[in-house]
Amino acid sequence: MAANATPDRRSMEQVIANGLYLGAQYALVALGLTLIFALMNVLNFAHGQMYVLGGFITYWVYGRLGLPFVVALAASAVTLAAVGAAVEVLLFRTVIRRSVREESTMLLAAGIAYFLDAVILLLFGEKQRGVPKIVMGVFDWDNLIMPYDRILVGGLAVVFIVAFMLFMQYSRPGRAMRALAQDRVAAQLMGVQVDRYSMIGFALGALLAGVVGGLLAAITGVNSGIGGPISIKAFLMVMIGGAGVVGGAIAGGFVLGMLESVGLTVLHSYGDITYLVIFAGLMVFLSIRPQGLMGKPWG
Amino acid sequence: MGLGMQSSLRPGAVIGVAVYVAVLFVLVPWAIAASGRTDLYYTLTSVALLSIASAGVWLTFFIGRINIGQGAFSLAGGYVSAILVARAGLSFWLALPLAGLFCAAVSVLVGLPILRLRGVYFAMVTLVLTEVARLLALALPITNGAKGMVSLPLPGGVKLLGVTLIPDFATLATPNRAFYFLSVALMSLCFAAMYRLVHSRIGRLCRSLQQNEELASSIGVNIASLRVLAYSISSFFGGVGGAIFVAVSQSIYPSSFTVNDSVNFMLNCFLGGLGYVFGPMLGTLVLYFGWDLLFQTGRFQLLIFSSILIALMLALPNGLLSLRPFGWRRG
Amino acid sequence: MAELLEIRGLTKRFGGLVAVNDVSFKVREGEILSIIGPNGAGKSTLFKLIASFLRPSAGEVWFRGKRISGLSPHRAARLGVVRTFQETTIFRGMTVHENVVIAHHLRSRASLFGFYLGTARARADEAEFARSAEEIIRFLGLGDMRDHLASTLPHGHLRALGIAIGLATAPAVLLLDEPFAGMNHDETMRAVELVRAVRERGVTLLLVEHDMPAVMRISDRIVVLNFGSKIAEGAPAEIQQNARVIEAYLGSEDESIGL
Repeated sequence: MAANATPDRRSMEQVIANGLYLGAQYALVALGLTLIFALMNVLNFAHGQMYVLGGFITYWVYGRLGLPFVVALAASAVTLAAVGAAVEVLLFRTVIRRSVREESTMLLAAGIAYFLDAVILLLFGEKQRGVPKIVMGVFDWDNLIMPYDRILVGGLAVVFIVAFMLFMQYSRPGRAMRALAQDRVAAQLMGVQVDRYSMIGFALGALLAGVVGGLLAAITGVNSGIGGPISIKAFLMVMIGGAGVVGGAIAGGFVLGMLESVGLTVLHSYGDITYLVIFAGLMVFLSIRPQGLMGKPWG
Repeated sequence: MGLGMQSSLRPGAVIGVAVYVAVLFVLVPWAIAASGRTDLYYTLTSVALLSIASAGVWLTFFIGRINIGQGAFSLAGGYVSAILVARAGLSFWLALPLAGLFCAAVSVLVGLPILRLRGVYFAMVTLVLTEVARLLALALPITNGAKGMVSLPLPGGVKLLGVTLIPDFATLATPNRAFYFLSVALMSLCFAAMYRLVHSRIGRLCRSLQQNEELASSIGVNIASLRVLAYSISSFFGGVGGAIFVAVSQSIYPSSFTVNDSVNFMLNCFLGGLGYVFGPMLGTLVLYFGWDLLFQTGRFQLLIFSSILIALMLALPNGLLSLRPFGWRRG
Repeated sequence: MAELLEIRGLTKRFGGLVAVNDVSFKVREGEILSIIGPNGAGKSTLFKLIASFLRPSAGEVWFRGKRISGLSPHRAARLGVVRTFQETTIFRGMTVHENVVIAHHLRSRASLFGFYLGTARARADEAEFARSAEEIIRFLGLGDMRDHLASTLPHGHLRALGIAIGLATAPAVLLLDEPFAGMNHDETMRAVELVRAVRERGVTLLLVEHDMPAVMRISDRIVVLNFGSKIAEGAPAEIQQNARVIEAYLGSEDESIGL
């Protein structure tokens, strides 16, 4: 997606800078997915769709209504948090309680992905939508060219990652969610309100997806078809890093961003096979290390 | 309990099979002829083929693995048969089993490492596998990239000692009807084979695997090879389904089977019910026809469809057959 | 008595931690040998090593003149070294009878394909398994529970079912992981008799157990582990006198050596 627009001159510095920029976005996507997985053992198929929804909200608020980008980003975050909370309370909670097999949540998540796809199509249509640049100009230094808006968006992504980690580490809800992720039953015994923090966790995961959607809408625009592919990339990152581990999601995000950036440069002459190579590498990697870089065995 | 052989000969089962055969091979063709809705042949053929592929997914569920990669094998099966028929000039009737076997062989290679993964890990890897297949189809020279392979010939005839066993589909007035019979017959074979498997000792071994792999291996079950066996049968089904699909539509593209199809195969199994061999058949029928019926709702089709799906999930989290409409036993 | 199982210098490291450190002993045919030790002494790890569920970092396990360490668990089971589980691991979704029938897997003479086709040999196997399962179920006092779903069984019966599953594989050596855990005195006494009866069937038994009185009653010999190393080996009476054993157990508060 984003890397298509990278400049042609590809020095080592350029490749690394592109990789970091992509990696920061990806890590944010993977964090949301892994948070939901860690808390509820749910693989959120609708994560990509949540990302797209966030992108479209930013497009509307910033691109159409002309409000400041920060307001648009906040609108994306708040809307998606609400969607996430609603989905958890109204749907997942019931299904988890009533189904015999845990896999049922996967069907539900797939249904929600379709539902969000439908909503997005009805509300925003099929067209690719772009917004005016948030900042003009290009950073140009010897071997490195980077538009300022990318630097800003990459920086914002890093800020959000750090903020998320601080929140999980030091805030009361953050600590409660970490306890919940580690051992649901024990957390319950310790007095953590499981229902409440499942909802907050789901909302937070969805919020992260919405925020990245908003951030990237400012660079590459947004269209209704990219939800599925984004979900697949998120799954890739989580597999690389290890499911349900915050550090793993971040590592997975940066690894994938870097691989993509390197691949697009090195494999350029062989056609569009970067992802083929990444997938093949992942198969080999997982056969040696099934739990990913940082995951616990069997998630 | 009893043995599989005996239970399949119960009078109730005999009647059930008779009704099944009568409906699919007599009643449906008659109704279609009477109403003139020959387009239904295509729809029902699709349902039959998709349920074959879904049956494979069900089988991987049976050993405790969530398989979202069946699209990869349907695509592979489709391409293998298309290439064998169009490039090597092989008869479709030879290419069909070869496509299935190719998929089974690939799934052994892929399965050996990835079947060690469990839960969401396996689910995610198989999902990625679907994407790998699509990218391969785009990148390989032999598949003709994004342009796909088109104008594939219809299946030819088969003659043995001068007797026509299978007529040349190109000479038929209604090849769609022939495809219907072919697909429904193969679907019946697949489900019969799977029913036998599930109710034989192999099925119980698979269930032991699903319930506790450690214990299964401690009682001497070679869990690795049993997993690979189940997965390769699963992929065989996927490949066969894909190969016939390609013959029906006479074309194949990298986008013929995508992640969406993989997810749908899984949904078919869930919807029908994972505890029931015939779950995927019912699930496919309901999902496919449900989608078709909603066509009139125009741009609200996907919205209504997904809403119903979610509502069904809330009402019947264990699948349609958990209602036990015919008093079927679990398993 | 001939030696059936020989453990030679078995060592297992997890990262920097040495869970089992250079442990050697021999198991004779037909005996009941218990492995005891304070919590965290490495008993369970040793058990997994013997049953080939873990690969040793060093050392070997030999069974009837064959090295079995490094084999996969199902191969070790095929040779006759079978393990039951601590957490009352069973096939929860099957009935008691189904559990025991499926555990006869190793006795199959028919191939998987034969079972699929329902050949004469496969049917003979099935009939034999069903008969043998009935016998084992009765032997372990599970007759009334025959058609109950395993997940609904009470605690004591679960333990018996675990042993039944082990027996169904026709093992030469059965490794029982804490067979008396969580039982009251009467239950334990019954279980002790049961384990003796299993030995009478010609099965050599290796136990990991916390319940000292039961261990002292039942064992022919005892191996004591502490911090991963073997500190003593001998008959129950010798072990009770052993200064190092008493010291090891005095160091921990919640154990009694049953003196």
